[in-house]
Amino acid sequence: MKGLLPRLIKRILGGIVMILVVASFTFFLIHLIPGNPVEAKLMQLETAGVTPLRAQIEVQAMYGFLPHQPLDIQYIHYIWQILHLNLGQSITYAGVSVTHLLLEAMPWTVITVTSGIIVSFVVGILTGVIIAVYRDRGISNALTLFSTFLHGIPQLILALLLAFLFTTIWPIFPFGSPYDAVLTPGFTLPFIGSLIWHAVLPVAAYAISSYGGWALTMKSSVISVLGDDFILASELRGLKPRIRIGYIARNAILPLFTTLTLSIGFMFGGSVFIEEIFDYRGLGYMLITAVGNLDYPLMAGSFLIITVAVIVANIIADFVYTAIDPRIRT
Amino acid sequence: MSAKLTDRSQQDFGLSPEVACQVRDLNVTYRVDGRELSALREVSLDIRQGQITAVIGESGSGKSTLALALMNAVSSPGRIASGRVTYRGLGEVTGMRGEELRRIRGKAISMVFQASQNSMNPLTRIGAQLLDLARSHDLPNPRAVLREAGDLASRMSLDADRVLTSYQHQLSGGMRQRVGIIFGLVLKPEILLMDEPTTALDVLSQSSVLEIVRSIQRERQLTTVLITHDMGVVAELADRVVVLYAGRVVEEASTAELLRHPRHPYTRSLIQAIPRLTGDPGDAKALEGQPPSLASVPNQGCVFRERCPYRMDVCETILPSFRFDGDGEHRFACHYEEARHD
Amino acid sequence: MSTASAAFPGAASPPHHRPSLLTISWRAITRKPSRVIGITIILFFTLMAIFGPTLYPKQLPINPAELYAPPSWAHPLGTDFEGTSVLAEIITGSRYVLSAAALAAVFTIGFGTLAGVVSGYFLGSTDQIIMRVTDFILTIPGFPLLIVLSTVWSFGSPIAMGLVLGLTGWGGLARAVRSQTLSLRERGFIEAARGLGLSNAHIITREILPNISPYIAMNLLLSVTGGIYAEVGLFFLGVIPFQASNWGVMLNLAFGNGALYTPQALLYMLSPMACILLVTFGIVLTLDAFDEILNPRLREG
Repeated sequence: MKGLLPRLIKRILGGIVMILVVASFTFFLIHLIPGNPVEAKLMQLETAGVTPLRAQIEVQAMYGFLPHQPLDIQYIHYIWQILHLNLGQSITYAGVSVTHLLLEAMPWTVITVTSGIIVSFVVGILTGVIIAVYRDRGISNALTLFSTFLHGIPQLILALLLAFLFTTIWPIFPFGSPYDAVLTPGFTLPFIGSLIWHAVLPVAAYAISSYGGWALTMKSSVISVLGDDFILASELRGLKPRIRIGYIARNAILPLFTTLTLSIGFMFGGSVFIEEIFDYRGLGYMLITAVGNLDYPLMAGSFLIITVAVIVANIIADFVYTAIDPRIRT
Repeated sequence: MSAKLTDRSQQDFGLSPEVACQVRDLNVTYRVDGRELSALREVSLDIRQGQITAVIGESGSGKSTLALALMNAVSSPGRIASGRVTYRGLGEVTGMRGEELRRIRGKAISMVFQASQNSMNPLTRIGAQLLDLARSHDLPNPRAVLREAGDLASRMSLDADRVLTSYQHQLSGGMRQRVGIIFGLVLKPEILLMDEPTTALDVLSQSSVLEIVRSIQRERQLTTVLITHDMGVVAELADRVVVLYAGRVVEEASTAELLRHPRHPYTRSLIQAIPRLTGDPGDAKALEGQPPSLASVPNQGCVFRERCPYRMDVCETILPSFRFDGDGEHRFACHYEEARHD
Repeated sequence: MSTASAAFPGAASPPHHRPSLLTISWRAITRKPSRVIGITIILFFTLMAIFGPTLYPKQLPINPAELYAPPSWAHPLGTDFEGTSVLAEIITGSRYVLSAAALAAVFTIGFGTLAGVVSGYFLGSTDQIIMRVTDFILTIPGFPLLIVLSTVWSFGSPIAMGLVLGLTGWGGLARAVRSQTLSLRERGFIEAARGLGLSNAHIITREILPNISPYIAMNLLLSVTGGIYAEVGLFFLGVIPFQASNWGVMLNLAFGNGALYTPQALLYMLSPMACILLVTFGIVLTLDAFDEILNPRLREG
């Protein structure tokens, strides 16, 4: 297993560098926003009768830096705060720390996105195997067409259609919030049941939006593995079909991990639509709310955390990949 | 099921005592662009019990197809169009399918592949794959297979422990080829098919590996089919030789007889192509011209005539039939030789 | 696993040895009716975007007497919450949506091809730097990035929109083009051209680009769909101010006005979605032809 740990450490360091780059990006972005929102906030507080000192403390709490400081000092303050997991204070939710808001929002996004990825990965891979194995039959063509078609539908439209079809036209699923408003949140069976029931459509939207891609990629991967010498060898050595399928599946799944990286980013990106449409107070929802309300600390924080989620998910994916493929470890 | 198998193992299926496998009128075709092209034509031969039978031919002669056909493993777009392959104690494999066939492959009849260095799953350790093999054939004690493999590895001058715990990519091409041979021998098959087993090896390890294969073959009285293009390997190893050209058997004899008295002009050219240790390597002459492709094999007359120095009119139209020579153990199909000796 | 060379076997055969691209394309398209349909859809929407808006006044009339009217001869797709004809909105909105998407595709292809070819051709540290940036672009979720950028960037004109979509979307193509270039290199293409004393610029523009052009053309079409989704999504979320109506704005207003619960608003919401899907459908059908042009093995079959 040598090589596993160094690789992991390297990936984590790379991730940290990337997070810092994104943090720097949001810092400069805030300075590029027309009308200098930080300065404006300071003025606004002062004209509202807050003492200059008090106003400065408040602005510093919101943004992590003060506008009249030199840029390098501002930058160091900003990054220093982020390294301490302090992402400033929200303006919309006055006085609430961005970190707190995002920690509350995070599970909604991470759980639905992860469920969506897992469901689409499993179903997509199974479809891909069926398409590849029954290459010359009708079912294969039908599934290919179906997968290609779904592959082409954007998340936005998918989510709108699902919401419209299954909550208005054929109302079998609830709509508009992550759980029944009458229930008190807690570890109770009805509450958890309600959570799952409400999550069906959003998770389906995530899953369907990436399902076609998995199916089609898996199909070509299986076809290419079936042509490998060792698969013919395993047949001529009389290996049991169960064992052979294991050989084929593991080898065919490997190339999909490259796609997984892209898919993770795509899924977290899609959270802005799916959470807006299904009214999930997740990271994407926070981002939209922040931009809509000119709440720049919350915006910068949401964007940073979405990126961090993607980076962490990628490191996990890479770790699994390394565990499956011995050629990388040694 | 097992009772039925034990019954079978005692049966000879009409084969005479010295024959382990009988091939009769085997035709294999490939479907290319809607046309059926013949890869093997009316191939008949007997593989003798406990001997090494070599099948020699150039690439495109159909020798690899023959190896696959011997396991009933010709895959689409190819198929066995007609003919039979019958094994002593197993029966007619050409009529078998599915599970029945799977149980025989790798166990009673095993194969060492041409691309042996790529015949292992890259994601699993060699030892684990040997266990997969053992479990697939329901061996009572799969671990014993590892011990057997270890012994074989040591005999082939490999570090047994290292090989069994390695992944394919950690071994060199030559080591992998030897591991491929271990996979072929480890379940103690009754018949071993070897398709160009030493192509990836350098000359030195080639002869040492062949040496080991021969000694194991002698010990176990293992019936072996050796598919090769190299008359040098044949001379070193085989008891009998079958010469294949364009999907047809053109000559067959014991190795000594064939080397001493080759009758078919194609066999002669193969023997002339053996590089000799003594003398000028330039003396070794390869046959001029290209072997015919599947699509260009003539449908009538002698298949070799395009490259034959003794080509006669009759060769264009009439397929030469087999003539038997000596004690009836030597056969060949050539109009010119026939005319010369009559 | 040499994925690069295995994936696109047709790309590296020298251009001189095959019939002209135009001939191949024509043959490939007319081989299947689905492809003809695909091309027809694309042409239809292109014409709609070019000439459609000239049929209507700049400011579409509103009619308080006809809110959410059902389909009629005057309004084949019904009316919206202000009584404006949905069909008129679709047609006038198509110009911005499609031109911005087309520009986005051009920019994406431009940046991606440039980065990919340069990376794969020069290798070394150039390659490393470009690929590092590419990985970065690919990891950052594109949509949130666009939303954040909307605070500093004006998306008013199709060119501004297309440029931003191109700047954020070139990563995947760069990687693919790089591997295409590498596969040409593997086949000794570049070495041979260098041996003839050809300049780098000549080799890139005359030898490499023509060989990967079918692949690029295919991605040009694919990028159009990506561009449509991204801009429609931005308008839907309402993070960018809009002057005139377009498909994304229609979705935004429909969603904002509760179209999801208002069965009468069905056509208002479905029409832009149907258009987006139809364009995508047309592009996917056409891509099938590109697949054949790209992959000579399919051509025979």
